[in-house]
Amino acid sequence: MRFIWISTLKDLWRARRDPFAFTTWLAIPLLIVVMLNVVFGGGGAPVPKGRLLIADEDSSLASNVLATAFHRDPLDKMFVIEKVDRQEGRERIDHGEASAFLIIPKGLQQAFSHNQPFRLQLFTNPSQRISPQIVEETLSLMVEGGFYVQHMAAAELRSANFGAVYRRVMSLQKGPPLIELETQVIQEKKQTKGLGALFLPTMLYMSIWMIAGVQAGDIWKERMSGALRRVAVAPAGLGAFLAGRVVFIALVFGAIAFAGLSVARSMGGVPVANLAGSAAWAMLSGTAFYVLLLLLTMQSSNQYTAHVLVNLVTLPLALVGGCFFPFEIMPAWMAAIGRLTPNGWAVQQFSSILTGSAEAREVALALAGLVAVSALAFVLALRRLRGSFAV
Amino acid sequence: MIEVEQLRKSYGELTAVDGVSFTARPGEIFGLLGPNGAGKTTTIGCISGLLQPTAGCVRVMGHDVVREGTAARRALGVVPQEIALYEDLSAVENLKYWGGSQGLRNPQLRERIREVLELTGLEDRSTDLVKRFSGGMKRRLNFACGIVHRPQVLLLDEPTVGVDPQSRVRLLELVRAQAQAGACVLYTTHYMEEAETLCDRLAIVDHGKVIAAGTLAELRSMLAERDLLRLSGVFQPEAARAAVAPIDQIEVLQAEDNLLVLSLQEASRKLPAIFAALEAAGGEVRGTTLTQPSLESLFIKLTGKELRE
Repeated sequence: MRFIWISTLKDLWRARRDPFAFTTWLAIPLLIVVMLNVVFGGGGAPVPKGRLLIADEDSSLASNVLATAFHRDPLDKMFVIEKVDRQEGRERIDHGEASAFLIIPKGLQQAFSHNQPFRLQLFTNPSQRISPQIVEETLSLMVEGGFYVQHMAAAELRSANFGAVYRRVMSLQKGPPLIELETQVIQEKKQTKGLGALFLPTMLYMSIWMIAGVQAGDIWKERMSGALRRVAVAPAGLGAFLAGRVVFIALVFGAIAFAGLSVARSMGGVPVANLAGSAAWAMLSGTAFYVLLLLLTMQSSNQYTAHVLVNLVTLPLALVGGCFFPFEIMPAWMAAIGRLTPNGWAVQQFSSILTGSAEAREVALALAGLVAVSALAFVLALRRLRGSFAV
Repeated sequence: MIEVEQLRKSYGELTAVDGVSFTARPGEIFGLLGPNGAGKTTTIGCISGLLQPTAGCVRVMGHDVVREGTAARRALGVVPQEIALYEDLSAVENLKYWGGSQGLRNPQLRERIREVLELTGLEDRSTDLVKRFSGGMKRRLNFACGIVHRPQVLLLDEPTVGVDPQSRVRLLELVRAQAQAGACVLYTTHYMEEAETLCDRLAIVDHGKVIAAGTLAELRSMLAERDLLRLSGVFQPEAARAAVAPIDQIEVLQAEDNLLVLSLQEASRKLPAIFAALEAAGGEVRGTTLTQPSLESLFIKLTGKELRE
């Protein structure tokens, strides 16, 4: 076990001594994020506010109380309130130009003071999560509060007897509210993905795929220098050596994925629903690629043919497997083939975890498959090492 | 102690090691001497457990290298022919790694690293990257990595190949020091002078077989104090053999169109007679090399060829 860690350290020391390569590994995903940022904006802008559109068709004291609730602290720091008419409000919410659109139909004051049912309409933007929810929660609270007031003190409200209203409120045990808030989520016309989100899995996996190939080829340097033979005759042996190398690769991929995703989210504004999960998947799948490519590279008779063989395999797979172009912009037939490749499958799973659309069971199954393939490839690679490669 | 009994290693039709047997004892430097391709490295590979013997038995400190591989490897230190180092690591990092591979831990590892750096004269360059070292310094570090764990048995596979004379002298001193400290050292080389000055006992190998073994004195006695005379020029081999045959106690080791190798006593005194006989047989002598008895001449006597051919 100790030699596994020493082997990992050895590779970390070596990586530190080659800062250009190490920086490149980290720079690829970061560069992508910066590129997305420059092209599509988002970096350095002030924290965006939610936009609430209100169509007040009642224009009464009650509707005014409702609308001005969003002008009070802290809601005024979160929202820009705009008064619109019904038609403009619908058009703008349909185009995604606001977080929510509240319609206060005519008759609110009348219904409120006469203890009659009434319905407010709230349209929310599905591409936003937080702001529409705050509007909805705030309105729900106000509607509920209004119900209590309405139910027990309609007469006093009409006569402006506020002391009596307070006492009635405190002794109330009735329900449900007669004023209802009807919330509608606007149907998205087309499921669109930002370009940053579209390209992030592709770019990250391009980096991981290429690093896996280069690192797999490094075993030839160790063979040519005689280091493998030296390890083979040490008591710790080749198993611990290979395990240490795999741990190193996992650490590198974990760091790259975590850094890349963090920067993409914070600077590039790319939505990352599950940072830890997607970084872990990128780390594990990248490590699996490494072990598979290691096994492949060790089948060659010399370093040159190993290099050619790995390129022959990795480049076409990268092209069709979503590591150069996202599946979404590929011809359908090519995307269908690409999704069947090992890297294409990993990219798909990664995208699902990244967007939070993956089912837990589905991820668990994929993870089990990945671990099984990696373990098998590890055993075969070790057999090849012990068989004749190290000698 | 290393015990090798009837060791054989074949690769298909090719037999690289063919029935080699010898024993090397603690505190002794045992030399395996032979030309390139003689089977020295294959023998070392079988002893270190890197190669599986086709037949025969190898024991290191009493442990069979096949059946008790891990125990045997714990006693071993190997200094390979190639410079098996990580050039992008420093000397200390290499020693930490290779010491760790032998199971050493701090603080013992730290102490041994300090000792071997001092021993090999690399203490001033301990944090420098190996790729900035000279060839001789790399060889010394390669050696240091092989002894960092104080092995009971040390296998050295041509450790001075490509080394400048100064570094070679230093390396040979280091090897002697290991044997004096009680290690059993197996040293392979194709340099006669190294074997003569360094080894307590020797086995001369060629084509995978031991063709002579013993102490240096025992091997020299096989030559019976005879000189080796190499004559270059133009000869008719059979006529030349016949021409020199009557000369007292002469032995023709090799006769070719342009080379004649003779073994005889007091060669310098008999040179005029040899030249006259060869001239009478139609030969022409253009160059003469006289070699006093040595391992080189023994090797030529035993195999009919030079060690470096």
